[in-house]
Amino acid sequence: MEKKIITLRVNKQDYELYINPKTLLVEAIRDYIGLTGTKRGCETVSCGACSVLVGDLAVKACSVLAMQCDGMEITTSEGLEDNGKLAPIQKAFLDEGAYQCGFCTSGMLMTTSGLLKENANPTKQEVKEAIEGNICRCTGYNSIVRAVERVAKGMYKEESL
Amino acid sequence: MTTTSLAKEKLHVINTHVHNIDGIAKVTGRATYSFDVKLPGMLYGKILRSPHPHAKIINIDASKALALHGVKAVVTGKDTLGVKQGIWRRYSELCDEQILPVEKVRYIGEPVAAVAAITEEIAEAALDLIEVEYEVLEGVYEPYEAMKKEAPEIHEGVERNINVTRHIEWGDVETGFEQADYIREDHFFCGGQAHMCMETRSAVASYTPEGKLTIYHSNQSAYYMQALMAGVLGMKEGNVRVIAQYVGGGFGGKFELDGAIFTSCILSMKLHRPVKVIYTREEDFIATKRRTPMHYWVRTGIKKDGTFCAREARVVSNGGAYTGMGATALYLTGFFHSFPYRWENYRYDGYRVYTNTLPSTSMRGFGAPQAMFCSEQQLEWIAADLGLDPIEMRRKNGHYAGYEVPGQAFIASCGLDEAFTVMKEWIAKKGKLPANRGIGFSAAGFMSGGIFNWFDTPYSFSSAVVTINQDATVELHIGATEIGQGSNTTMAIIAAETLGVKVEDIKVHSGDTDHCPADLGAWGSRQTLMTGNATKRACEDAKAQLLEFAYAKMGLNIVYDLDIKDRWVHIVARPERGMPFDELVTIALRGKDGQRIIGRGFYTPHRKGMISPAYSYMLQGVEVDIDPETGKIELLDSLTAHDCGQPINHLGLIGQLEGAFSMAAGYGYLEYMPYEDGKLMNPNLVDYKMIRATEMPETPIHDIDTYEPEGPYGAKEAGEGLTNPTAAAIGNAIFHALGVQMKECPIRPHMIVDALKEKAEKEKAGK
Amino acid sequence: MIHDFTYLKPGTVKEAVAMLSDHVDECKIICGGQSLLIVMRQGLIATDYLIDIKGLKELDYIKYDDKEGLKIGATTTHKSIEKSALLKEKYPVLPIMEERLASLQTRNWGTIGGNLAHADAAGDPAPVLIALDAKIKVGSKAGERVFELGEFYTDLFETAMNHEEMVLEVQVPPMAPKTACAYKKFNLLQNDMGVVGVAVKITVDASGTCTDARVILGNAGVTPVRAKSAEQILVGKKLDEAVLVKAGEAAADDADPVSDIHASEEFRRHLIKVLTKRMARQAWEQAVKLG
Repeated sequence: MEKKIITLRVNKQDYELYINPKTLLVEAIRDYIGLTGTKRGCETVSCGACSVLVGDLAVKACSVLAMQCDGMEITTSEGLEDNGKLAPIQKAFLDEGAYQCGFCTSGMLMTTSGLLKENANPTKQEVKEAIEGNICRCTGYNSIVRAVERVAKGMYKEESL
Repeated sequence: MTTTSLAKEKLHVINTHVHNIDGIAKVTGRATYSFDVKLPGMLYGKILRSPHPHAKIINIDASKALALHGVKAVVTGKDTLGVKQGIWRRYSELCDEQILPVEKVRYIGEPVAAVAAITEEIAEAALDLIEVEYEVLEGVYEPYEAMKKEAPEIHEGVERNINVTRHIEWGDVETGFEQADYIREDHFFCGGQAHMCMETRSAVASYTPEGKLTIYHSNQSAYYMQALMAGVLGMKEGNVRVIAQYVGGGFGGKFELDGAIFTSCILSMKLHRPVKVIYTREEDFIATKRRTPMHYWVRTGIKKDGTFCAREARVVSNGGAYTGMGATALYLTGFFHSFPYRWENYRYDGYRVYTNTLPSTSMRGFGAPQAMFCSEQQLEWIAADLGLDPIEMRRKNGHYAGYEVPGQAFIASCGLDEAFTVMKEWIAKKGKLPANRGIGFSAAGFMSGGIFNWFDTPYSFSSAVVTINQDATVELHIGATEIGQGSNTTMAIIAAETLGVKVEDIKVHSGDTDHCPADLGAWGSRQTLMTGNATKRACEDAKAQLLEFAYAKMGLNIVYDLDIKDRWVHIVARPERGMPFDELVTIALRGKDGQRIIGRGFYTPHRKGMISPAYSYMLQGVEVDIDPETGKIELLDSLTAHDCGQPINHLGLIGQLEGAFSMAAGYGYLEYMPYEDGKLMNPNLVDYKMIRATEMPETPIHDIDTYEPEGPYGAKEAGEGLTNPTAAAIGNAIFHALGVQMKECPIRPHMIVDALKEKAEKEKAGK
Repeated sequence: MIHDFTYLKPGTVKEAVAMLSDHVDECKIICGGQSLLIVMRQGLIATDYLIDIKGLKELDYIKYDDKEGLKIGATTTHKSIEKSALLKEKYPVLPIMEERLASLQTRNWGTIGGNLAHADAAGDPAPVLIALDAKIKVGSKAGERVFELGEFYTDLFETAMNHEEMVLEVQVPPMAPKTACAYKKFNLLQNDMGVVGVAVKITVDASGTCTDARVILGNAGVTPVRAKSAEQILVGKKLDEAVLVKAGEAAADDADPVSDIHASEEFRRHLIKVLTKRMARQAWEQAVKLG
């Protein structure tokens, strides 16, 4: 085994990491970079708590090696805000109470952010299908769906300009 | 009793659209759970678990593990005081669990040893190097088997493995049945369910040379953890500090000691270094606890006109290896099986039986979901048998405000009648349904905190301290635990309403035993009513102190009432006359020579019956579509009619009810815990199925306006009770869609296919 | 925990097969890794070398011509297949199957080559592609080989590839006229893996008589199962209820499913019976409508 140096661009910041190549992306983000907003809830790529954006695509960070993301642009929940100014999806989660314990929230935010990048105006069913890979034990999901619908309706457009 | 419009107008903060006060931390990734805590010099712990359901520990040899580079310590039961602990601390015979057992293991996954190492990977590798010599004993996994005379003895001296029995009775059941025109009896089985908190059990313990132990731990009651850990470690409670600031879900599974907190503490005390223990998802499945599986036998007598005469129920529950909170679940299932009806004659006998399986315990609904699955389906079948309208039959026998459950409980507020009306309208609007589609509903009720405690005092208690700062902001110290249900926000709302300030003026301190008063924590739906009352009283105390200065300053005659609303101190009769709140605070603090204004409040439910000071009521309706060929159930729509008294936290209430629906629906048809020879067959999220977004129907909620005199501002339980009716509602929907009676939950596809086959064969034979 | 490995990242297929040849028997290929990393974490697979082909752009393509049919490169993601306008037109069953394959995140990152090479009996693409008479092209330093996908799977998680070969491409012949394919899996959660799955392809003549049929069963044995006796029942007939029921029963007999916590062997056979009937009807109805 030979350790490797990689560069991950996380939330617009380059991080040079010296890692065992078996390091998962979620381990690189949490344990090496120290951004603990991204959670882990299983070992079987089932729960979605570790979802992040790789480029514009939502990916479960436990299902990818950090090596595979060398040089790539990664966004975590900490990267949604801009100097303390919350992104529309974050505001919508607040307005709908689309979280309770908060443990799945980062993953939900990233998965729904990925959806909205691909499809700015998803139907209710499309939102549900997008977050199907994310388990939330608290909310029953409907408030999360409503939050995404709020953003899709453009309710935070002016504020975010 | 309902709120008058006058009373409603007086509320400025309560039931308005308030963001959760922890919200920004949670939507920005800043909220730090014990799962995320990293302390300087921290080691990582891992637990070696029993592969046997029942075995004596003969010897543990850790020498090879200790020789592994990076391993700092290995501990076993012999490194502990060997205290048998339990949450029913006032009953020593029910304190039966050593978290690291000394002599024998009683279920697969029980901790046997724990390792601390410099990395998690080394700790995990070390587990393979620990040699444990077991003498394997015969195991027993089902309660009816475990009760047999020849069954293996799981706990020394416990005859027939019967752990707890409970008897509830009122009226004269025999006479009641004699009066009945129709008697029906059925057998049911309700399975277990995993709490499946998104944050697995996790703890970071740090023991320092001053003899102080600090523990970051994911739990529902920081106070219980403090007291339980002090007990098993032989320490003073004050030397144990438990911090549970952000908790990734609880659902009834996180207020007993778990292996993570116990082993991290033992290892840290040995090494004087912080130790972190995080359960994997598999460990969380096999070695925490679960909803109690119950075998139910129900016999019900009823008159032709629908009057309920008598009910008798017997429960045999699979207790698993230890008592935990299971004894309480056995009691509450028996009580709530009577809900929400006026049985003049009622008898319940419950038997909790030890087996060599994962211990069972409390889980959201606390025995009531099982009770309702059996009760509400049987009532539906009885109504069909007798040709009665299932809503009117229930309404006729339902609880009402002013009713006393004989010798058990007094019902001061009850919105059940309106709930029936709402449900009836919803069902009528649906009209005639296509084939294989059905609507079912179920009624239920629940407690607003238990009267009982069993932990250290006979009574439950809560307390709160409120301090007014120089700048007119407010520190609220409560022992309630925020586990995502929104209790911090609920208490901030109550405090803001009472003091007449804004929610953002309140800083809530909770989940830290060093800074918060003792409180039993988040279980049994107790915090809104109990901690809520304590908070309200603490704020009233502080407010009265402040108003003394306002009277002095404003030179008022005593006949004038003063009040504070929206940071404005004023004469009630002449609201324009007054002064800003912060001015009053400045005057008051100066007037007291810098002494702080501190309000204290408490709540303890003396003389409030046997169970709870107040009860919520609810009806859950569901519309399902069933594929009769495959047995697949699809939830199409739902309606919740809900009476929680005065809602406090508007967004929190909706979230709690929707969340309860998803968990309860999962219990009804998805969440299945099969065991083979004591081994859980699906301890992962691939094979354990839960409701996901694509399975959730719409969840409209009809809030019924009642006022609970015992609750703060008229509030009572919300969020736990709605776990109770849903499985039965799904069963009833299937009954109406297909004419089959489902007596086991979760209701899985093959059961429906088999039931239809059986029905077809019967019809054929009948012809 | 994952066994330590040396990470290799080829820039071309040529480099990849050279690496395979250098480390044969002690290496594994990772592409999307959506399944592989789970089993590596469980310790079920331990490898000394991991060759990461996820970045091989030369295998990321969906091509079609009327003569040769369809070619999909191994590193093409599920997402690309699902969203492909070309496939929606030419092989609509593929995007429909992909939509329900797994979670959005897995479809975003996981690849068709990885899925087919992993050889999970519960995989969705294999039964559908076999029903479409697909072939799979594999390559090594020694050259390329093409297998009928229906003959590619040899056992649970086993394929006919040798240890120096990797999946390069899946090839699907053009759809015959008046031919349609339908796929459905039975599961409790919409995008969950199937308890069983059934793919049926039907070709009809102008009169609506079935002239050719494929019935492929997923998770009904250690490899995808071709239900030949069901096909025989369908061919030469108009697919009325009686024929469909018989075909379903035949498929259930052809299957060799396991019992597990999700379904007993008997219930799996029952589900195969129902799904075969339904998918045959659906494919037939679609085929009849085609010009």
